[in-house]
Amino acid sequence: MNRAEKALHALKQMDELTEMDSPVHRLSALSKLLVTLLFILITVSFHKYDLTGVFMMALYPYVLFQLSGISFRLCIYRMRYAIPLVAMIGIFNPFFDRDPLLQIAGISISGGMISFLTLLLKGMLCLCASFLLVSTAKIDDLCAALRRMHVPSLLVTVFMLTYRYISVLTEEVALMTDAYHLRAPGQKGIAFHAWGSFLGQLLLRTMDRAQELYAAMLLRGYNGEFPDLQKNENRTASWIWLITWAVIFLALRWLNIPDLIGRMFMR
Amino acid sequence: MIEIRNLTYEYEPGKPVLKNISFTVEDGERVGLIGANGAGKSTLMKLMLGLLESTDAVFADGVPVKKDTLPEIRRKLGFVLQNSDHQMFMPTVAQDIAFGLLNYGMGQTEADRKTDEVLNQLHVSYLKDKYNHRISGGEKRMAAIAAVLAMEPSALLMDEPTSALDPENRRRIIQLICSLPQTCIITSHDLDMILDTCSRVILLDQGGIIKDGPAETILRDRELLEAHHMELPLSLSRR
Amino acid sequence: MHMADALLSPPVAATMAAASGAAAVYSISKVRKENQSEKIPVMAVSAALVFAGQMINYTIPGTGSSGHLCGGMLLSALLGPEAGFLSMIIVLAVQCLFFADGGLMALGANIWNMAFYGCFIGTYLIWLPIMKSSLFSGMGEKAGTRAKIILASVLGCVLTLQLGAFSVVLETTASGIGELPFGAFAGLMLPIHLAIGLVEGMITAAVLCFVYETRPELIRGIRKETGSSKFSLKQVLACLGALALVTGGLFSLFASSHPDGLEWALFGNSDAGYASNMALDEENFGTQSSAADTAASIQESTSFLPDYAFKNSDSAAGTTVSGLVGCGIVAAAAIGVSAAGNFFRRKTS
Repeated sequence: MNRAEKALHALKQMDELTEMDSPVHRLSALSKLLVTLLFILITVSFHKYDLTGVFMMALYPYVLFQLSGISFRLCIYRMRYAIPLVAMIGIFNPFFDRDPLLQIAGISISGGMISFLTLLLKGMLCLCASFLLVSTAKIDDLCAALRRMHVPSLLVTVFMLTYRYISVLTEEVALMTDAYHLRAPGQKGIAFHAWGSFLGQLLLRTMDRAQELYAAMLLRGYNGEFPDLQKNENRTASWIWLITWAVIFLALRWLNIPDLIGRMFMR
Repeated sequence: MIEIRNLTYEYEPGKPVLKNISFTVEDGERVGLIGANGAGKSTLMKLMLGLLESTDAVFADGVPVKKDTLPEIRRKLGFVLQNSDHQMFMPTVAQDIAFGLLNYGMGQTEADRKTDEVLNQLHVSYLKDKYNHRISGGEKRMAAIAAVLAMEPSALLMDEPTSALDPENRRRIIQLICSLPQTCIITSHDLDMILDTCSRVILLDQGGIIKDGPAETILRDRELLEAHHMELPLSLSRR
Repeated sequence: MHMADALLSPPVAATMAAASGAAAVYSISKVRKENQSEKIPVMAVSAALVFAGQMINYTIPGTGSSGHLCGGMLLSALLGPEAGFLSMIIVLAVQCLFFADGGLMALGANIWNMAFYGCFIGTYLIWLPIMKSSLFSGMGEKAGTRAKIILASVLGCVLTLQLGAFSVVLETTASGIGELPFGAFAGLMLPIHLAIGLVEGMITAAVLCFVYETRPELIRGIRKETGSSKFSLKQVLACLGALALVTGGLFSLFASSHPDGLEWALFGNSDAGYASNMALDEENFGTQSSAADTAASIQESTSFLPDYAFKNSDSAAGTTVSGLVGCGIVAAAAIGVSAAGNFFRRKTS
């Protein structure tokens, strides 16, 4: 599989996840989007040494993975490029911040170690939350949610159309890549002399495609505005979902729950 | 009724791609527009739809195609593009069908009802909530035709409706076209399909009408077809 | 160069989102004013093209590695900076949502680092001035324009990538996430992105030259009479102003999150012990310099979730032994619940 095919495969997987049915899938995309944003905001706001506090935030992805039936493994697989990048920035913490912060059974753990782990955990939780959002909300529901958040219609329309044509163009790149390599065995990528024409050809076809697409839109009465996508969804359940999580997140943020539980058992 | 009177069109001055085209298509008639690549078929289609500008040369039900009549013309003439990916630009099939209806001022509930109706008519109700980028080529073509039929046009223009379809889907499209009460103008290189669907054929070459007559006569005329870079339909050629 | 959510503190993320949001609002009004409804499909497929184009591996001559396309410069040369910027926003949003490149909260920062510089700075400071200039005029029109395209693409990609990489360093440091000193971090990021910028610039130049030879009317700024993209001092100044404003804002956030201020950042951290009692230092620091004092108050007003919320409690550092024990208990409970859940699910099915 070439890179483009891998991307197509990943997109297909995401589409299939959104086509599943679960209590989470049935909630409105707007409530899921707001909960996700709130979750990320609260998670990153934890102090850099507050490993236990961030750990408790895992409650949200944990509950969502349980409720939605989305594969946790696939989510971890998706993070394989993003997490090392976060780690690269945090890996220096243990070297620069050597002050002991904790003593457990005579072993002292430095602040840098804790902040590194906290950073990694934050990164993973935020990625989990985003993954859970796009694997339980369809693209058109997301667009409708963005419109309800008053994101300008121009951006939402371009987003929707882009998503539609990403698979078309990526498929074309996948085919072109295969065709190139069939006639250029042993080459790893596109050779220097073909740099311009390879993507350039696709670019010219893409501009023609845009013209034809525009014609198709005009022929069906397009006048500069797309009609808003309307959704039938359970508003009460969505509100309850949003408020419940907001309360839980705030409680997790301002009450040191793991410390309370730990003290209960340590006394 | 679609009427074309003395239509001439040039992209660059002095190089006309269409020369003095005139013909009339009666209500309910199915006409095949055939000709080699570059004969001017696509340009002719675009002029009929007002995608290219012409003056007092194309009339649909007596209404001339010009800038201020475009909304009315496009309501009357439905166009099925060769590449369904270009036609189906909304996320799901149902949203795509509703797109045109909503643009022409229909309410959401009414548009939903119409969507269900037209999908039922084509026996593809299962496509309704499918993503457009996830369905097969044959399904895309069906959905594209549904999106055009939902607008209740009085005539359909189709550009290569059977290209890149497997035999079963091709057969399905042919049956569908034959069952439509609307006027149809079909351009295609699939002459067997034209023979199956159309009663009349217009042969274009180098921007002019070479022959306009019954499909059975023109499509059997080996000499005429070969003189204009075409071949007999497979079903008519002796092995 | 995509930043993850975890690398940004809420105040920095909010600052960057505000800056990118302002640029987006400006671009939308500009595109709407042009009132060309056919721009929407062109923007959408161009965004899809950049996304798909980044899936192509280009072999870098003389090395075993491969390079990728730089979207910002390409899109603004084709669509103009405003429409190009909006298309880049969509590319970044898709990458963040569907491919875990970046994050939802970090989207504002990523848009600024990768789209704003590439589209606005790249166009108004590099692309248009070079394309309108009389450079290479001795080479004849075609060859001269080609040379200008190559120069503008390479210079544009290098400069905008450097700005982007520098912003990543600034934003991360201002967020107080990594302990790596500012100078060392910048020393790592900038040379890497210099090389990447050169390669991306060459690829972008190759594509634009191909387009110039086949369909020159697609490229903006080549003909002298293209009115809407007229080179003007106002736009250059506006770009520089936006750049200065955001960089200044970041520096002030940065200054306030580090007790010893900029000096510490630029010359290394001599006192490693500062971090353990950061809250205290923050107060001392405030009395030391008035400029930093205002910076701190800016941060206080922008951070609705300040990271020193536990200032007065004894668990200010966050992690305690009893906390770790608590986490262990919670984790055990969670594993128990999911095991039981799986067990019952299997029983009922």
